[in-house]
Amino acid sequence: MTPGEWIFIAVMATTLTGSLAAVLSGSLIYALFGLVAAMFGIAGIYIYLNAPFLAMMQILIYVGAISILIAFAVMLAGPMYRRPKEWTSPKKFVAALAVVLFSLLVLAGIIMGSFRAATGAKPVIVTTEELGRVFLDKLTLPFEAISLLIVVSIIGAIMLALFSKGEK
Amino acid sequence: MTGDLLYHNLHIYLFAALFLLGCGLLGVMYRRTLIGMLISMELIMNGAGLNLVALNTFSAQGNAYGIAFTLFIMGIAAAEAAIALGIIIAVFRRFGHIEGGEIKEMKG
Repeated sequence: MTPGEWIFIAVMATTLTGSLAAVLSGSLIYALFGLVAAMFGIAGIYIYLNAPFLAMMQILIYVGAISILIAFAVMLAGPMYRRPKEWTSPKKFVAALAVVLFSLLVLAGIIMGSFRAATGAKPVIVTTEELGRVFLDKLTLPFEAISLLIVVSIIGAIMLALFSKGEK
Repeated sequence: MTGDLLYHNLHIYLFAALFLLGCGLLGVMYRRTLIGMLISMELIMNGAGLNLVALNTFSAQGNAYGIAFTLFIMGIAAAEAAIALGIIIAVFRRFGHIEGGEIKEMKG
């Protein structure tokens, strides 16, 4: 095993344990830290997939912006002692686990059966210049639509937070 | 499988994305508060992005659409998180808690 493979295993383990912690932990703050660990791991995976620009964007957007947003949501949603426990009834958990395991089995079968890499091909390296050309030459309309969507969502979030009614 | 190195193997990435999807589904189904559901939604979106990038790198030779659409997914996730934060604050002001199962007023 080369050192690169060991680092890859560490990155994968960070991602998987982080996502498990994000889902299974009883407190929302620990779940948020698990989400941050998973996002860092996914950024590392993007570097292994020859997409360093995407890894940078992952850290900027998810770790920098979305985690801070969720942290603010956790802080604004009342004090800790008034918050309900995250665990619902064990019956519901077992039912959800059964549904998830079944769907994962089906999807794993589909993956094993039908996806394979192009034969004899090296992994492609997409440069940032190429990515910019794709955005501005071929995907111009979705690019502009995304910016419009973000503006609308930010204005909508401000309106929701400003003009929502108080407790009845 | 394109190479002998561990990280030149398409299926590893696909299974990691599948694991993220499973975690997210589990969280959306059993979490109690809206913020927990939001965290799980982020996991699902990341799984989708990982799938797109892995398939772009290994089986679509010579274009960058997968990476471009992963950036679109990140933008949509940011917009979704902002909206969800606004909704969570509104729900907390109105009901005094953020439990998803206890919000009965808009149930049909």
